[in-house]
Amino acid sequence: MDSFITGLLALADPSLVVLLIAATLGGVIIGALPGLNATTGAALLLPFTITMEPVAAIAVLTAIYCSATFAGAITAILINTPGTSASATTCLDGFPLAQKGEAGRALGLAVVASTIGGVCSVIVLMLAAPLLARAAYSFAPPEYFALTLFGLSMLATIGGGSPVKNILAGCLGILVSTVGIDLMTGVERFTFDMSVLTDGIGFVPVMIGVFGISEMLVQISNSQESLERIKLKAIKLPSKADYIKVWKTILRSTGIGTFIGILPAEGATVASMIGYNEAKRWSKTPEEFGKGAIEGIAGSEAANNSATGGAMVPTLALGIPGSPTAAVILAGLMVHGLRPGPTMFTEQSDFAFSIFWSMMFVNLLFLGVGLYGAKIFARVTLVPVQILWPCVFIFSIVGAYALDQSMMDVWVALGSGVLGYFMRRYGFSVVPLAIGLILGEILEQRFGQSMVMLKEQWWLLPTRPLTLFFLVLTFLALFGKPIWNRIKQLRT
Amino acid sequence: MDSDLKQSTRGATLETWLVPLVILIFCGFTYWLTTEFTRMPPILKRGIQPSDFPQLLIALMLGLTALIVWKDPIRVSERIHNPTLMAFGLIGVFVLLVQLDFFFALTVSCLGLTLLWKKRNWYTFLIVGFLVPIGVFFLFDQVFEVRFPRGFLTNLWYG
Repeated sequence: MDSFITGLLALADPSLVVLLIAATLGGVIIGALPGLNATTGAALLLPFTITMEPVAAIAVLTAIYCSATFAGAITAILINTPGTSASATTCLDGFPLAQKGEAGRALGLAVVASTIGGVCSVIVLMLAAPLLARAAYSFAPPEYFALTLFGLSMLATIGGGSPVKNILAGCLGILVSTVGIDLMTGVERFTFDMSVLTDGIGFVPVMIGVFGISEMLVQISNSQESLERIKLKAIKLPSKADYIKVWKTILRSTGIGTFIGILPAEGATVASMIGYNEAKRWSKTPEEFGKGAIEGIAGSEAANNSATGGAMVPTLALGIPGSPTAAVILAGLMVHGLRPGPTMFTEQSDFAFSIFWSMMFVNLLFLGVGLYGAKIFARVTLVPVQILWPCVFIFSIVGAYALDQSMMDVWVALGSGVLGYFMRRYGFSVVPLAIGLILGEILEQRFGQSMVMLKEQWWLLPTRPLTLFFLVLTFLALFGKPIWNRIKQLRT
Repeated sequence: MDSDLKQSTRGATLETWLVPLVILIFCGFTYWLTTEFTRMPPILKRGIQPSDFPQLLIALMLGLTALIVWKDPIRVSERIHNPTLMAFGLIGVFVLLVQLDFFFALTVSCLGLTLLWKKRNWYTFLIVGFLVPIGVFFLFDQVFEVRFPRGFLTNLWYG
């Protein structure tokens, strides 16, 4: 309870409030710019947070996460181009509604649904994260190893791509994490006798590369089609009739989004897709979907914003990122010397609750920003791409360099950018690479510790009930769908 | 048109096999590297040898690559566009120019990137070629106290 209040009191610091307002506005701009998303924005800004206090740094990153996720709806509704992938389903009904001259109503609804989804998910985060951490407090290395393995197995379904390719990308990330001195034995691995590699390859330059530079390379090849832009007169708050029509959808999508967010590695995009589909399935007028149904907008937006709070639950309580952007935030925590996991709620619970309250503040703040500033932020889409992407490049390079003032980080960022481009080209998602890099070290440590504990008898791992539980979950995450499909095939 | 299509199909087939081959070579080379790691005596090895975990991963990667070839081959719908190839070239130019001056390399690369888009205006060059690099330089130098590596241009400021 003390931490609950101390965390709230952190918001009494005017400098933190100013920083959060600036980060929220920055996040809205990032989210409104087609091509840039919360993950890229957080990765690009990560080096700038190094000099900040840990609370301020992580609060800024979470503010960008929440606000950029919401802001994707602005461009989705006004120019039929989702600012972030999580808003792709908002286009389906948001743009048709805007074409009917009701852009203000569509945006107003998106803002309210996003705020409700975001606030509810932060409440769940406040309640669930400490409980989950308490449950995980008794975990021994074998349980942690199995849990991390489960987190990594969830990468198979990330981004809707090929599960095999996703796991391969995750393995590559874990392999990269083994570069440097092995903490268990002190032996140098893959360092090629270069002193700069003894500490390993930093995850910040890799993230800047795979999320920032590779995105730029992808965007360059995209043709510049002229966009139909809907004029926005004024944002309207939803009417009473609208609320009556969508309140169930908002609540349902909030629950779906929070649950999907809590699952390791699943994020706002998956949440918004399921939220939208469920809104359509439960609707009394499903035929209106795709033609400007307000339930479609509410279902998608409430789900993608509630996934942000949900994703922070495993990130903070277990150290397993709940989404790609949460992986960047996890990297930020590690850069500041904080180790997310159960101990965070015993040793640094004030810090954890400061972050929760900051997220709550940001979610309420973008209600105002969305209602009164969307008209201005919609103009962000007018920024020419030939200015935007060179700026992303310069900030990527300088950001990577600024971290340790090392040119090695610049080469790593550039190399990761090129690798990321080719991975995307050949159907590999870059997210598993980044998450694998972060979790790799933990996975190997826990595996080594488990081997010591079990006297190198790895086959004893499943004899521990919780380890067995997580191993079964891992098996189901990897093979559940193919087995289910096979059973269905046999039945028919 | 037909020849373009044939060329693209041929390129796609090549890439279908090239990617697993590159992964295979990478795994082979990495595995060889792991055999060079120092082996710890049993009393100091603390559970596993330093090479065990990477070797496990490499074996898994090889298995997954085989699975990709068998079940989920690489499919590429289109060739790499010229602007992207030029962007790779610009990255190469950046790497070379950094030897002269980091700031100069950034400016030239940014200007080059601007040229890769169809629409070009004088104000874009002004913003991207001068205002942004200079702004970023002073932001980092004055606010974040990050000093750029020395070069012929940055020396003018650092003295």
